[in-house]
Amino acid sequence: MKVVKQMVPLLVAIIILLLLFRIWVPTFLSAENMLNLTQQISVNTILAFGMTLVILIGGIDLSVGAMVALVGTTTVFCLSALSGDSQNLFLVFAAMLAGLGIAAIFGTFHGIAASKTAMPPFIITLASMLIARGCALRFNSGLPMPIEEQQTFFLAIGNGRLFDVIPIPVVIMLTLFFLMALLLHRTRFGQHVYALGGNREAALYTGIPVVRVEILVYLLCSLMAGVAGMIHTAQLYSAEPGSGEMFELTAIAAVVVGGTSFTGGRGTMFGTLIGAVIIGILDKGLNQAGVHYSLQYIVKGAVILIAVYLDVRRNR
Amino acid sequence: MNSARKFLISSLIVLLLVPFSIGCSEDPGSGPQKSPTEAAKGKLFGVSFQTLNNPFFVDLGEGLKKEIEANGDRLVILDAQFNSLKQKNDLSDLILQGAAGIFVNPVNWEGLKGSLLEAQRKNVPIIIVDAPVKKSDEELIVCTVASDNVLAGKLAAQALAKVNPKAKLVVLHLSVNKACIDRVEGFKTEMTQYPEMEILDVQEAKGTTEGARPVMRDLIGRYPDLNAVFAINDPNALGVISALDSANKLDQVTIVTVDGSQPGIKAIQAGKLHSTSAQFPREIGQIAAQKMLAHLRGEEVEKDVKVRVELITAENAEQFLEAN
Repeated sequence: MKVVKQMVPLLVAIIILLLLFRIWVPTFLSAENMLNLTQQISVNTILAFGMTLVILIGGIDLSVGAMVALVGTTTVFCLSALSGDSQNLFLVFAAMLAGLGIAAIFGTFHGIAASKTAMPPFIITLASMLIARGCALRFNSGLPMPIEEQQTFFLAIGNGRLFDVIPIPVVIMLTLFFLMALLLHRTRFGQHVYALGGNREAALYTGIPVVRVEILVYLLCSLMAGVAGMIHTAQLYSAEPGSGEMFELTAIAAVVVGGTSFTGGRGTMFGTLIGAVIIGILDKGLNQAGVHYSLQYIVKGAVILIAVYLDVRRNR
Repeated sequence: MNSARKFLISSLIVLLLVPFSIGCSEDPGSGPQKSPTEAAKGKLFGVSFQTLNNPFFVDLGEGLKKEIEANGDRLVILDAQFNSLKQKNDLSDLILQGAAGIFVNPVNWEGLKGSLLEAQRKNVPIIIVDAPVKKSDEELIVCTVASDNVLAGKLAAQALAKVNPKAKLVVLHLSVNKACIDRVEGFKTEMTQYPEMEILDVQEAKGTTEGARPVMRDLIGRYPDLNAVFAINDPNALGVISALDSANKLDQVTIVTVDGSQPGIKAIQAGKLHSTSAQFPREIGQIAAQKMLAHLRGEEVEKDVKVRVELITAENAEQFLEAN
């Protein structure tokens, strides 16, 4: 019940924002606009799910933006190399696995480095952000790589619609939400995550497999970035080595607005989903209301501050 | 036990939220139907620029705005900040708001197809400004309105040949951008007329002042006999000037570029820059707006509209500043 109580202010905030933008933009609440909103937030929300786990154990992952670019370029490179301009589903899956494999290597490395050495996660992932960005820029000498039109399956990941209504990225986002929420709130692994974030020392002494949990958390975060990277790439019809910049910060913003504590141990997947929706509504609403983009930044910054301040005050 | 209940309740809320967000109001979110207040304000047009951090695009926007507002319509100007996802989202928003027509200056000239298809589904005409799109995407747009970039490159080569026919030069490139590719292409084509000219090196410099400085510093060290530079735009040329200035080499090197921005022309007047092939961004905007209106009236519009460029040197810098 406490979780729901915590979410009430955020849900109220969403409703207020929706009504506010409805006054400004007459078509804001139309079905189509709302569907479009869910599609636009999907990449950031998926990144934020992974980021939630990492922040819950008191860590951080700054490499997810670069990972989006690296997974995108790797996948498209393999797509072109393997299946060329014809579509063979088996080879498409192979290319997607290659992309996720790269993400898994990075994620596992983050987990091992964070749990086995005294290096702070901030520094580890800052370094691998640079490495991943560099790897992404190795493809096609840093230029965008268009996806062949024949790759209908891969393009559908970003642009298709289920039953011609619900965008596929939204389907993927909701599926991942349920999986991640189950994992965090209904399994032993989830309990371990909270225990680790609450007090690492205590978690060690109670016999929680700290290293394994930490590796799994960073691995999941990178895999989420991998999935987000595929959606992002398919949406743009091309893989851009330079894309995904600042994505990590938008994801972190969604996590903290959703009430996850930056020192670890407190937060929920549902909160993150709401946080991402709030940031998405702000983005879209301010855009459609014709607010100058410089003001959009200022408003977003202020909203993050207010949300986190209220959250901290409530939980003192 | 408790966590199970929490989970159930939160999933319920999610499930409640989804229909709430889908079926909220019966407003027709698409098509040309408008509320009475909007109808009074005329039609809605939008433009998405790759950046507004360059005076060129600000001027282009001004040109569009003037022409469109003269017709009693309104124009929304959006900045994609070099981010193709933001551009895609901005374009979706414009399409959903029932824009009568949209102008796009693409961030990624090969990555616009998704937005073009979306616009096509809703019958929103798209005109591309300043930089072309992929050949296979051309059927999805009304036309492209851009400077004659090949000519701009040729003019730069001619200007350099006049003062320094045996130039040993370097090129500062931005090879992601099709307009810049055309400029360098034009420059090289014209260079074949002057067999004594030689390109020592071509380097990427991001098309910005801060991108050009370090690149130029390295080049000075590597090529002691370097005596000319072709930079692909004014901001780039300003970075070159500052690097040469700090190395005390400015008087030995002739710099030519393409743009015609205020800071560029001031640098020509100060004797630091030799020439810039001026573009006319306001004119590009104006012409693009006229083509859009013509298309909406049902007239046929040619696919590839080229806008003039003009060489600016110390002789005509003063007049050019006054005229614009």
